[in-house]
Amino acid sequence: MGKRKRSIAGVFTVILACAVIISAGIIGAVYFRYISKSIYEDSTVQLGEVYGQVNRAFGTFVERNWGLLESWNEYFEIANKEKTEKFLSDEKAYWGYSQFYFINAGTCRTLDGSEFSFDIASDWSLDKPVLYGLSLSDGTEMTCFASPAGPREYDGFEYNAIAITYSSDDMANSLNVDAFSGKAKCFIIRNDGRVLLSTQSGGSVFGNYLTYLTAASDLTEEETAAIRADWENGRSGVMRCRVGDEKSCILYQPVGYQDYLLLSVVPENVMSAGFVSVQKTTTNVLILIFVLISATVLALTVLRYRKQSKKTRTELMYRERMFDVLSNSVDDIFIMLDADKFSVEYVSPNIKRLLGIPASEARKNIRTLEKCAVDGDITIPREELLSIPLNENRYWEREYMHQSTGERRWYRMTVYHLSLQGTEKYISVMSDRTLEQQMNQKLTEALNAARSANEAKSNFLSNMSHDIRTPMNAIVGFSVLLEKDADKPEKVREYTRKISASSHHLLSLINDVLDMSKIESGKTSLSVDVFSLPQVLEELKIIMNPQAKAKSQEFRTLVQGNPPENLLGDRLRLNQILLNLLSNAVKYTPEGGKIDFTVSDISDNGAQYAKLRFTVKDNGIGMSPEYLKTIFLPFSREINSVTNKVQGTGLGMAITKNLVDLMGGIINVESEPGKGSVFTVELTFARAEKTEETHWADGKITKMLVADDEEDICISVKELMEEAGVKADYSTDGETAVKMAVSAHDKGEGYSVILLDWKMPGLNGVETAKQIRQKIGDDVPILVLTSYDWSDIEDEARSAGINAFMPKPFFTSTFFSTLKPLYGEKPEGPEDEKSADPGVMSGLRFLVAEDNDLNAEILTEMLKLEGAECDLAVNGKEAVKMFTNSKPGYYDMILMDVQMPVMNGYEATKAIRDSGHPLALKVPIAAMTANTFAEDVQNALESGMDGHIAKPIDMNAVRETVARLINKKR
Amino acid sequence: MTVKFKSIFLAAILLISAFAAAACAKGGETLSIMGKKSDLDKSYMRSIIEQYESSKNVKIKVIAVEDSEFETEAAKRYEEGKDIPDILMHFHNSDLGRFDVEKDFYSLNGEAWTDELTDSATSYCTDENGNLLGLPFWESSVSGCYYNKTILDGLGLKPAANQAEFDVLCQALKDVGCTPICWPGDNCAWMVQFGLDPIFADHPENLEKINSGEASYSDFPEIKNMVEWIKSAAEKGWFGEDYLSCGWDEISDDMGSGDAVMTFIWDTWFYTDFKPGQKYTVDDFALMPVFLNTVDGGTYEGGNLNMMMVSRDGKNFEGALDFLSFCADPENYNVAFDGISTVSCFKNQTTNIQSKMVTEAADSLAEKERVSTAASRIIGYSGDDMVSALGEMFRGKTDVDGCVRMMDEMREKEIAAGYAE
Repeated sequence: MGKRKRSIAGVFTVILACAVIISAGIIGAVYFRYISKSIYEDSTVQLGEVYGQVNRAFGTFVERNWGLLESWNEYFEIANKEKTEKFLSDEKAYWGYSQFYFINAGTCRTLDGSEFSFDIASDWSLDKPVLYGLSLSDGTEMTCFASPAGPREYDGFEYNAIAITYSSDDMANSLNVDAFSGKAKCFIIRNDGRVLLSTQSGGSVFGNYLTYLTAASDLTEEETAAIRADWENGRSGVMRCRVGDEKSCILYQPVGYQDYLLLSVVPENVMSAGFVSVQKTTTNVLILIFVLISATVLALTVLRYRKQSKKTRTELMYRERMFDVLSNSVDDIFIMLDADKFSVEYVSPNIKRLLGIPASEARKNIRTLEKCAVDGDITIPREELLSIPLNENRYWEREYMHQSTGERRWYRMTVYHLSLQGTEKYISVMSDRTLEQQMNQKLTEALNAARSANEAKSNFLSNMSHDIRTPMNAIVGFSVLLEKDADKPEKVREYTRKISASSHHLLSLINDVLDMSKIESGKTSLSVDVFSLPQVLEELKIIMNPQAKAKSQEFRTLVQGNPPENLLGDRLRLNQILLNLLSNAVKYTPEGGKIDFTVSDISDNGAQYAKLRFTVKDNGIGMSPEYLKTIFLPFSREINSVTNKVQGTGLGMAITKNLVDLMGGIINVESEPGKGSVFTVELTFARAEKTEETHWADGKITKMLVADDEEDICISVKELMEEAGVKADYSTDGETAVKMAVSAHDKGEGYSVILLDWKMPGLNGVETAKQIRQKIGDDVPILVLTSYDWSDIEDEARSAGINAFMPKPFFTSTFFSTLKPLYGEKPEGPEDEKSADPGVMSGLRFLVAEDNDLNAEILTEMLKLEGAECDLAVNGKEAVKMFTNSKPGYYDMILMDVQMPVMNGYEATKAIRDSGHPLALKVPIAAMTANTFAEDVQNALESGMDGHIAKPIDMNAVRETVARLINKKR
Repeated sequence: MTVKFKSIFLAAILLISAFAAAACAKGGETLSIMGKKSDLDKSYMRSIIEQYESSKNVKIKVIAVEDSEFETEAAKRYEEGKDIPDILMHFHNSDLGRFDVEKDFYSLNGEAWTDELTDSATSYCTDENGNLLGLPFWESSVSGCYYNKTILDGLGLKPAANQAEFDVLCQALKDVGCTPICWPGDNCAWMVQFGLDPIFADHPENLEKINSGEASYSDFPEIKNMVEWIKSAAEKGWFGEDYLSCGWDEISDDMGSGDAVMTFIWDTWFYTDFKPGQKYTVDDFALMPVFLNTVDGGTYEGGNLNMMMVSRDGKNFEGALDFLSFCADPENYNVAFDGISTVSCFKNQTTNIQSKMVTEAADSLAEKERVSTAASRIIGYSGDDMVSALGEMFRGKTDVDGCVRMMDEMREKEIAAGYAE
């Protein structure tokens, strides 16, 4: 309804405006017509007056000339020739005419006697004064005034008329008027139109102006006839017509002599110059008024429109701002496109936050979205948009990359094809679907992982079945054979050895599986304590040397840099990692191969933590690139002719990798089939405080000599010792070492100790020692530093004067412990424990807590074999009771199972420690359990136990533990 | 044979040779005349040669050279002094510059027949030193402004006597709806030269300056006046609306139909190119001067005349002078020019057909006719170049000054290209 009203009002306004304009136009036209007419009439009057004056002036001129001729005629009557000539000469000079003529019937004569023909118009006669035009032979137009005279004779020429001529141009000039801007033309014409004079320059070409006017003007025949009639009847008149391209006003007046008329032709624009001025001024004023009114109306309209627009814009701005705020707070991008032009009309500002594209840029060119698309494809294909029917939508899901952060996110672009007020639009909503996508991806990955795990477990079960059954088969089979051949001692020993070997393999298998199981379940923890790196290396060397030697392999332990000797970390796990790598190296390196175990200090200078790189390099069978990809996965073993002969669970490397990860390190492997492998483990340990320096300060060792062909080793030893306060000199060959030792000795500044490399070019270590001994005697201790097993040369070396051997790499602690016995001190070290006296348990009484009868029986028998006695408790509670009831010193030691009914081993230990028994806190208690993990050991110690012995029972381990604990308690 | 006998024999041979030579010189002697092939092929030329040969029993050797090779061949002969003809037919134009006129040709001022020539012909054949270079023996015409007097009379208009009248006349004709001047915009090479004639014919020093390179077209304000007038006339519509597409062939139709009232042409055009059977015939036309704003009273251009020039080094010098006297005899030239449409070169020429238009304008012609000077005597002059420059101006690509400059530039190119030679 409102719209209809507005429409009607609009139409009414237009009609009104048209009416006003038309009315103004009509009024203006009428006004101008009136003004024009008035001014024209005034101009016509003025024209008549101007040319009336001209006419009168011309008439006066004509009258004067005729008067002159008349007076001259009277004079000629009395004057002779000379006087006549003199008179006329004076008159010509005075009046300015061109020539004087005597005329007689068609012939005229000048004063100088020239005669020529003289034709006068046929309708005129010389019996009265006449005015006419005369063309000279050179084309000059003359105006002639003739008057009857005589008849008389002049110089023999009889004449009946006399005449004077003026140049027609001069005559015409006398008709010129300055009025009408000099653009008015004036003619003296005869009543038939023939032109006598023309004021126009070049106007002589008009022969008959009426003829010309008839042809050149828009006069009708009637108008022409009227003019002709006026002229013939000597009437004046005014006529308006167009001559050529020009509107003109024609005015004619009879001159009053003969049939001559004065004709003036004035362009109307000249005549109406005043009108034009008025018209222009009026028009300008009207235009000014109109412009002012229009400007006022326009200004009011504009103000109103602007007010309305501002209100509308404000509303729109608020809405847009609100929408911007709204869109900024959500993760959906809104884009609106014109469906016809595909031009962007709106892009929500959050596109900057979500995709890193400024909204202004996207508004300029929507294709900037393409550079965000990860697949680089067209974001909104035009064809796809065109295919969306009106009021329907379609969506695409694409991955986009944030232009600033590089973050990739998935968006669903839903495009709606809508019609808004008759204009079709595409409204696109880009919704973040990254979480859904990631969830889907994770689900897919999880599904795949589950499938892989399932597959791996199937493989594991299959492998386990095979790997467990194999040693079990040997145990069961040899047990049967043992029973059968019990009476044959040789057979029994052979079978028991094989059963034992199979049992150990089975045990290692079980240990690995359990280790892996524990690692995978995340229950593995590290037991961090101070440990000696040299000791670890020594232990590894002790373990690996025999294995390598058995396969005739060269096994070297090398140290690069100055790794700290005391570190804080899990020594057992480090051992496990390195043993795994070294065992594999030995396993998969053929006989005669080479294995290098290198420890490098790669710590940053001054770092609080020591970063060590352990490298195990062999020239063994190597691994295929395919296997390298799965080497650290559980239950993976490369299948080939060599590995098939090597026993293994396929868990070793997985355990190793997990332990390295657990320790925050990294492990890498490089390998090439047939060329060998290099395993690299990098681990970081906290540095522990040094303890050895004080020993050197005792003053026994103040100066030493080192000889090694590898200068790096010499420098390393020198630095380490000087750091400990011991001055060190070195030489890189035996000969120099001998000289230096002798020289120092001779100066009375002999070395406190001499350290020689075994294998040096020239003099080797033994030979060098021999020469030193020969020259300076036996006072100074000489040690040999070697990477090799020195047992084969030990006798020769000792006879050459070498006091002790020391393994490479050089550690000050090892050096110190090697020197201790030489200075009469008792050495320390694991060797004491390892070399436990086989009879260490003889005569001891053990309280054994064991719920399993079979295990109890085995232990009881084994202890008996060691010469020890034992009392058996079937659970912890009973063990506590038996100990508390015992006399002090009755039991030398308690061997406590952990998992027992009624009371477990931990609780029992605590109860014993808390029992108040005089020896409750002193009696050594060792866990004897199948719980063998580090945390089990830790738990045992925390519960108050003193040691841990793993099941199945290894009597060597029992002896070592017993010896250590008994000695310790003592 | 004795020595005496040998002497008698040789004397007899010499005597016979002397008689033979004398016979040739007096009666059957050879006279050579050299000219363009097309020129010598004119009927009046063939006629006068036949008359002379039969009358004098002399054989005239006609050396007719291909038109395109004529100038080079003739100049070469005079330069090398070999095979110089007794008489050379040549126009009095800038090509005469290739000859050493004074040295090569005999001045004919003292010949008895010089009074027989019309003033116009004498003027044409006389050089700047007053030497009569040759005997004009050629068909000629008068160029001027030919107008339709029937139309003018019908409109009450008269022919113009000066530039102002001509301008008024043009506007008056325009006002009645006629095209005042038939001006073939792209083919009006001859028209411009009419306007230039007064500048150089009336002032030989101007001709000398422009040919010596001392001055160019731009240095003559009359030329700028002419170009300005042409531009103004075109803008006022005096050339009609389609003058730029109007060519040579349209002139006849425009003039014959009365669409155009005036054109700048020559009288013989009415007998050679004006198509018969049109609304207006040759009798409807009359002659007035050409007005191109270079001289107030207007100008006519006399025809180009082929002259018979006598070689100083010709083998038969006397025979050549005799032949020219024969040609200037009214009895002979009236036979040769019988029925030929041409302006008279000889005062007693009666058998040729002379147009009424020319005879009616005799007084005006006597006053305002000028020798064709611009086209024939300005080195490097090219009517086509003038038309090109005007065309650029008509099309608004340049102004008056630019147009004149362009005329100069094109003339310089013509000279540089050697066309002037």
